[in-house]
Amino acid sequence: MSRIQLENVTKKFGKVTALDGVTLDIKDKEFFVLFGPAGAGKTTILNCIAGIQIPEEGVVKFDGEVVNLVDAAHRDTAMVFENYALYPQMTVYDNMASPLRSNLYKKDEEYIKNKIQEIAEMMKMDYLLQRLPSQLSNGQKQRVAMGRALVRSPRVYLMDEPLAHLDAKLRNAMRTELKEIQANFGTTSIYVTHDFMEAMSLGDRIAIVNEGHIVQIGTGDEIYYMPCNEFVAQLMGDPEINIIGGTLAKSAKGYTFTMNAGGKAYELPADADLFAKFDEVGLEKVEMGMRPQHLKYSFEPKEGYLKCSVYSYESIGNKSVIVAEMGELQLRMIAPNGLTVKIDQDVYVDMKLEHAMFFNADTKEYVTRYNEAEIKSFAIRED
Amino acid sequence: MAGLRIEHLYKRYENSGKKKSVQNDYAVKDLNLVAEQGEFIALLGPSGCGKTTTLRMTAGLEDITKGEIYIGDVLVNNLHPKDRHIGLAFEDYAMYPPLTVYDNIAFNLKAKGVDKAEIDKRVREIAPLMQCDDLLDKMPVKLSGGQKQRVNIARAIIRRPELLLMDEPLSHLDGKARQAMRTEIKRLINDIKCTTVYVTHDQLEAMSLADKIAIINFGVLQQYGTPAEVYDDPVNEFVASFIGEPPMNILETTIKGKGDHFVFTFEGSNLEIEVPKRYNNVVKDGFKCKMGVRPMDVLIGGPDSKGTSEEVATFENLGDERRIGIHVGGTLLMLITDAETRYKAGDIIKLEVRGEKTHLFDIETGDRIRE
Repeated sequence: MSRIQLENVTKKFGKVTALDGVTLDIKDKEFFVLFGPAGAGKTTILNCIAGIQIPEEGVVKFDGEVVNLVDAAHRDTAMVFENYALYPQMTVYDNMASPLRSNLYKKDEEYIKNKIQEIAEMMKMDYLLQRLPSQLSNGQKQRVAMGRALVRSPRVYLMDEPLAHLDAKLRNAMRTELKEIQANFGTTSIYVTHDFMEAMSLGDRIAIVNEGHIVQIGTGDEIYYMPCNEFVAQLMGDPEINIIGGTLAKSAKGYTFTMNAGGKAYELPADADLFAKFDEVGLEKVEMGMRPQHLKYSFEPKEGYLKCSVYSYESIGNKSVIVAEMGELQLRMIAPNGLTVKIDQDVYVDMKLEHAMFFNADTKEYVTRYNEAEIKSFAIRED
Repeated sequence: MAGLRIEHLYKRYENSGKKKSVQNDYAVKDLNLVAEQGEFIALLGPSGCGKTTTLRMTAGLEDITKGEIYIGDVLVNNLHPKDRHIGLAFEDYAMYPPLTVYDNIAFNLKAKGVDKAEIDKRVREIAPLMQCDDLLDKMPVKLSGGQKQRVNIARAIIRRPELLLMDEPLSHLDGKARQAMRTEIKRLINDIKCTTVYVTHDQLEAMSLADKIAIINFGVLQQYGTPAEVYDDPVNEFVASFIGEPPMNILETTIKGKGDHFVFTFEGSNLEIEVPKRYNNVVKDGFKCKMGVRPMDVLIGGPDSKGTSEEVATFENLGDERRIGIHVGGTLLMLITDAETRYKAGDIIKLEVRGEKTHLFDIETGDRIRE
């Protein structure tokens, strides 16, 4: 059993407040991701749990017991760092054995051998055991660093951007591998990353961290489909979500949305819950969030489509992104590869409004979205 | 403006202090490349493949062991870098910290003795192109990474080079800034229409920016073509697996005859995929090779699908898309889907592979086997 809680944790470095009243409740055996931009305070949270840093205010609890005064060595955590931190003079086997040979967690050699064999097989690295770190690729080094943490059965695994050093391809491949073995961990794990795909793929739940605050906690689906503000919406998804400013007004059928740029008015498709929410908040100025896959384009003029010009057309692997421009507004949308698109040529754009989400134009906070009830039903897990 | 022509280019670094008899291998081996005037080409490959060495030889920062480099019609092998009419932008910004952004951009022109009014005109022309007109009075320490790289590129193009050389200009930037900067570079090159050579190890950058991509491995050019050519028609396994994310699935296979056609079979798996008919003349029963198929071309069948039933090994919900991994023998076969269905490890799905989209590779050499 290891439930990890932070209650109102504040950590300062001199005049800089790194964490400001952070509260988290991480369940036993949960794979919990801390996600946010560089400098958000993710690593500081991890260090407070590990006992490497002591918060000025607030408490850290393991299974309900306050551990603020327990030093790092006695908290029984296992850490994996971005920079591997392997002993260069030791073989992979000895590196992996090192935590089990330390005085604190001493095990006999027979146990160590079996445990290493088990973990090495799980991580598909049994053929590496006799090598020295200098004979390993970066991906292999990270595998060893992770294997070394996994040989122990600590109360919690703490992983600080373990894949951040790897190039994009290897990072994706390793992420998938980690996903595959994750089910075998059986131990609470806290994973820090700035890569939204890692967060989405690996996290049972994700906490979005920004400027020392927890901004939102939820499942990947919850955060992707119902981000609590525009900042979070923009973090999840590549290319970034389109934020389109406009005005809501009541109409005969429900509501219209008039775009600030160009002034085109859209009759919003009916959604009783959505309109009820609009009635309740009575907002005029809103910003609409539209993911790039929910925009449609045409290179011929089409009824109801907005006339824009192509700002750029870029392949992103298995698909491409067209950025269309209309005055100040830029719209990103997904298109297939291999189109003949010239920069500055005309392009006509329409939106699948039934996927829209709406934010308050002043506070940038989430108001509502289409099909909210349905999304809640699969995105929010209560257990 | 001018094109670039590289002919039979070799580079070997001299041994320092080691036995004379042991020679280093070539860092660049018999490289031939032509970039037409105004073309944007990317040199793409893993680290150590010789792409930066090639760029540095083009810039005149590195001696040429053998071969010729022409900028326009001028053989530049023995020209001093400053006489090659090139602009350089590297990963590191290397700005003069005590000078303002304006003076940093103007520095090269000042050094050349261009008169003040002309310098001012050109700085004010370039600055908006790179969206650094608001930054001109700032000092370099006040700039973010993305802003520094903007200034760095502005500095490279102010001399109106005939050839612009860029070495991993985006690799210092984080995800969001990198994406924004990539778009800006694309716009910029479109505006100034300068022949550009762009070195990167990131296939995404090469695919999104370049008119043509030269894929290099161990100093040897593997393939030179448009992004669509290298993606759809790779010459070998290396190119096939280097281009595209997630990479092409590549599996060892034994081909079996089945009635009037052939199928790919895989050790330790029941999966069978039809071999396209066009290969009928090159394959036979028992033929061993590697099969490649992109994750986009592996599909999940509906309820009445005739596909093979397979167990989901990994399911990753990435928001914009979902990735599913299936064990085929010892390999994880990946597929991508936009569909909203959620799976979990252990679920059974019907797998359909678009046989007509498969590629064949030689098991030993990795070369493409063509019909």
